[in-house]
Amino acid sequence: MKRRKKRLPGLMILGIAFALVAAACAGADTVDTPPETVIVEVEVPGVTVTSIVEVEVEVPTGGELITLVARCRAKQSIEEGRCNNLLRGVVDANAALEASGDDRRVQVKIIQDNPAAGDYVTEFELSSAAGEAPDIIAAAAVNVGTWGASGIIADVTDMIGDYPEFDDIVPSLWASTELNDRRYGVPLDAEARPLYFRKDLLAELGWSQAEIDSLPARLASGEYTWEDMFDTAEEAVDAGVVDPGFGWWPRPKNGPDFLYYYYAAGGELMDPSGALIYDTAAAKIVYEIMGDAVARDILLDTRLDGDWGNWHNGVAFGNVLFWFAGSWQWAEWAEFFVADLGGEEYLFENVGFGPIPALARGTNTPITLTNPFAYMVSSATENVDLALLVISKATTTELNTEYALASGKLGILKSQADYEPYTSARFQSEMAPILEFTTFQPNSPFFSAWSDAYYLGIAAVVSGEATPEEAVDIVVDQLENELGDNVIIK
Amino acid sequence: MTPPLEKEALVRAAVGEPGSTRRTLGRRVRSTATAYGFLGPTIALVLTFFVVPGILLLILSFTDLASVNFGDPWNFVGFANFERLFTDRFFPKILRNTVFYVFTTLILFNLGLALVLALVTTNIPRRSGFFFRLVWLLPRLTPSVVYILMWKRIAQAEPFGIYNQLVPEFLGASGGNLFLGGSPWTFVILTNGFIGASFGMIIFTSALLSIPEDLLTAAKVDGASTWRIIRDIKLPLIKWPLLFIATYQTLSLLTSFEYILLLTEGGPGLFTTEVWALTAYKRAFASYAGNSQWAFGATWAIVLVTVALMFAVVYVKLFKFKELIQEPRIDNL
Repeated sequence: MKRRKKRLPGLMILGIAFALVAAACAGADTVDTPPETVIVEVEVPGVTVTSIVEVEVEVPTGGELITLVARCRAKQSIEEGRCNNLLRGVVDANAALEASGDDRRVQVKIIQDNPAAGDYVTEFELSSAAGEAPDIIAAAAVNVGTWGASGIIADVTDMIGDYPEFDDIVPSLWASTELNDRRYGVPLDAEARPLYFRKDLLAELGWSQAEIDSLPARLASGEYTWEDMFDTAEEAVDAGVVDPGFGWWPRPKNGPDFLYYYYAAGGELMDPSGALIYDTAAAKIVYEIMGDAVARDILLDTRLDGDWGNWHNGVAFGNVLFWFAGSWQWAEWAEFFVADLGGEEYLFENVGFGPIPALARGTNTPITLTNPFAYMVSSATENVDLALLVISKATTTELNTEYALASGKLGILKSQADYEPYTSARFQSEMAPILEFTTFQPNSPFFSAWSDAYYLGIAAVVSGEATPEEAVDIVVDQLENELGDNVIIK
Repeated sequence: MTPPLEKEALVRAAVGEPGSTRRTLGRRVRSTATAYGFLGPTIALVLTFFVVPGILLLILSFTDLASVNFGDPWNFVGFANFERLFTDRFFPKILRNTVFYVFTTLILFNLGLALVLALVTTNIPRRSGFFFRLVWLLPRLTPSVVYILMWKRIAQAEPFGIYNQLVPEFLGASGGNLFLGGSPWTFVILTNGFIGASFGMIIFTSALLSIPEDLLTAAKVDGASTWRIIRDIKLPLIKWPLLFIATYQTLSLLTSFEYILLLTEGGPGLFTTEVWALTAYKRAFASYAGNSQWAFGATWAIVLVTVALMFAVVYVKLFKFKELIQEPRIDNL
């Protein structure tokens, strides 16, 4: 009995501790009834300098302080504007609420890091299934196809008009957030995917300065074609200007880029009913190009190894003559790879860019592809209107421009055309015209499987495991197994 | 054997003493309850983390649950996923890869190298032996991502990989894709093997060290060579740990994929180093444009679980595990 008595206080302490923890957890709910004034201090790491922003949220008596959780995938220091701009929009959002006589106030908590694209997507899907989805997610607009269809993001079509800030968004960009004529997100950025080339290596190959300087224009006019690029790359390898396999590099793993190869080869992707198409003739051209690049020693047969680190080292330090990449990667090279050599200045001196060259065997017109990011709102949130309000306050000329300049992205607002900090940015002004040739990925719930199967053919040909004809057979087989009636083989 | 107390109770019950049957029953219940009490946590763990997920996996494999149809999560499609799996063009290749990966790593490293390491480090001075075993434990102690990053930096294509940068020049050979790109399997097996070897090494070392010294001394006095001692004394005496490691590591390799995912992602090319568990993971969780096929991934996983269970049964029968667990063999020496 004595022992039991001794244990009692211990058990009581444990019980009290448990009750306290439970109470603390209960207090962590997203909706509180707080005291009259709550001061929320938010530290916003600026793009170049860390600045502290104090956000004072005054909640009227009887009002509610609502916490929204925002999730952003962003490369450190260059893309953090994605979530930070939402934090910065909180002050204006609360001012707007006050002005409209709404008793609610909002604060934003952000979760921002840089996981792999696939992992990020899976995380949101699983957190949605578990009922723990963030209220706002910044993700590639192509996810609208799957997430819109599954209902885990909110259809915001009828609410967009309530926020005048959204009128400033370039109208054509909205298409990227639409599924079956309904809008599921708000564009956040735009980008282009150009051909980059090394000016110094071309000079070493004997190109005159005038030839090098005119290359972007010749790419845009279609005069300098994909086939010409391969010829030049082969010459560079033969002349020893670059090592064998370092003449031309595509990205090292599957991603949106490979879709414009298919478009360039004349491939159709969607029929009017919305069904996906696999055009065997166009796909065969793509596979032939890839096989040709390996056979001519301008591309390593092991290049599609998925290793971005290795890839960036190759292109940023001048080992590769031509490569296809994203506009935002310019900022990555400047910030993370060649900062010691002079950063962006070094890049402008040694690297040029233009649209993806015309494929003479295909459509014979230059091309690029835009895979914009968009803010989406979880359908599980009870505060879609507040989420859109915060997003609208982050979609301002100043904030979006600061983000675009830091991240190597392109602006999305009409007002940026007259906004000096944006118009005077050399990279953005030189990259923007490439958008003239842009294409998009389709917002289809079946595109993911289509893309994985189509890429198998590319991987097979590059590694030498299949001829282009065999690759087409493999992909058709795979598509029929994966998608059945949801794909049309043409 | 019936415990004496219980025997006494039975005798009392047999001669018809009042209350004895009730007491016996009470004791039996108590003893059974104690046994289950001790087994309880294990049973709960197995139920929670194996049986229940296994059943869920099985149910899931008969649905078409994927990112696109959250709204209708329990749409049963019969055996459609299994049909898809077995008619998949790459199913035979992935199966071949898995068999190759499991048994090559098992024989060369998890058993072979582990045994060599245990034998060598128990044949050298004790401190040195300890030091070398510690060194061989390093791969296991290193976080998997760091470990694979180190291998990648060593094995990348010229001019990035340390090996491809230095060794060909030193040997006068031409550089290039000597390693990771050119022979991905070598790397997949090396990276997994170096980790797997340390587990067997520790078990074998403890078994070897528990062999009575007088047996070895007697053999030496009789003029037996080192090789003879290993072959005729040490190996037969550590038979049971060897069989245990073979079983444990086969099952472990069958379901492991994280190092392959980090090293090659199953590539390069067309499923070159893709193993079954990796396919299950990729189908369920990895898709660039975001359509995870959880049900199809579950189908790959449930077939793998079934194969693993079959292996376990075969090993248990083949190696007579019943005999193994009856008495601790190594203490019996």
